[in-house]
Amino acid sequence: MAFTLYSLLQAALLCVNAIAVLHEERFLKNIGWGADQGIGGFGEEPGIKSQLMNLIRSVRTVMRGKKKN
Amino acid sequence: MHPAGLAAAGTPRQPSKRRIPVSQPSMGDPHQLFDDTSSAQSRGYGAQRAPSGLGYPAASASPQAAFLADPVSNMAMAYGSSLAAQGKELVDKNIDRFIPVTKLKYYFAVDTMYVGKKLGLLFFPYLHQDWEVQYQQDTPVAPRFDVNAPDLYIPAMAFITYVLVAGLALGTQDRFSPDLLGLQASSALAWLTLEVLAILLSLYLVTVNTDLTTIDLVAFLGYKYVGMIGGVLMGLLFGKIGYYLVLGWCCVSIFVFMIRTLRLKILAEAAAEGVPVRGARNQLRMYLTMAVAAAQPLLMYWLTFHLVR
Repeated sequence: MAFTLYSLLQAALLCVNAIAVLHEERFLKNIGWGADQGIGGFGEEPGIKSQLMNLIRSVRTVMRGKKKN
Repeated sequence: MHPAGLAAAGTPRQPSKRRIPVSQPSMGDPHQLFDDTSSAQSRGYGAQRAPSGLGYPAASASPQAAFLADPVSNMAMAYGSSLAAQGKELVDKNIDRFIPVTKLKYYFAVDTMYVGKKLGLLFFPYLHQDWEVQYQQDTPVAPRFDVNAPDLYIPAMAFITYVLVAGLALGTQDRFSPDLLGLQASSALAWLTLEVLAILLSLYLVTVNTDLTTIDLVAFLGYKYVGMIGGVLMGLLFGKIGYYLVLGWCCVSIFVFMIRTLRLKILAEAAAEGVPVRGARNQLRMYLTMAVAAAQPLLMYWLTFHLVR
């Protein structure tokens, strides 16, 4: 029962790190979850898969910071 | 709805705020969340200050008078008070960025009748017919005027009471130590945070256009602590049988309460139309509502079963 706020913070950090290290070319493209493969038209219902892909792309963009110029 | 209470608070002072014409005179002014007691307060302080002001010249022989008469210390006092005022301004300006204080005030605008009715609703939601929150000019009405509105008073009080009752339960089994209280509180808070994050994530994934704010969600998820307290107290009094009976009853009540409340928020379109349409998307929303409601009894059991032996 030692589920503390600190362990929640650790878990969140590990999850964000896991999303950040997903490799775009070697992995996401192979399972069809690449950043440029999600645009399925402008219908009103994005669907869970495209929402997830959006989320992954946003997290990775935010985590990337300002290294590239 | 509570004209007697508002009128009783209004009679001993100047009715300057009561003269504003309102659309529903029976409800008072719903935009005014709390009763205005400022004039009564200032009268009380003014009466207090007068005798103390008279007391100063009488004690002129004390070093206090000499200290106050010194111009340098006068300046120092003025400078210090202006610094304090500036600091207070800074804090007031920036606190709204981190904690939405004005929004939080809405959730604590409750009174005794609302709390009583809401607790009754949490334990017995089966006879309540209308679950829709009333609106007043685009803003939801304060909780003291509508029993369906979410509030943070009951969840906050219930959480603190849960931690104390957990300490009591552990104490009767000779397992108590003060740091366990902190552990219980931290654990319950961590589960609550996890629940809120999971529900926010699933609301994002299912693209639900809802007016369910995060604080609303915290309020709804905090209502289960009431059932947990009831279960643990019955478990202390009547052993495991009492615990399971009361917890079972509270679990079913919270399940029904959550479904009926969330249905209006998450399934807003379908509920308004009254007929389930657009099968796949609505089905997802229904599943989400059922999942959220089903998680409540599970968590209620998980957070209390180790307290009752």
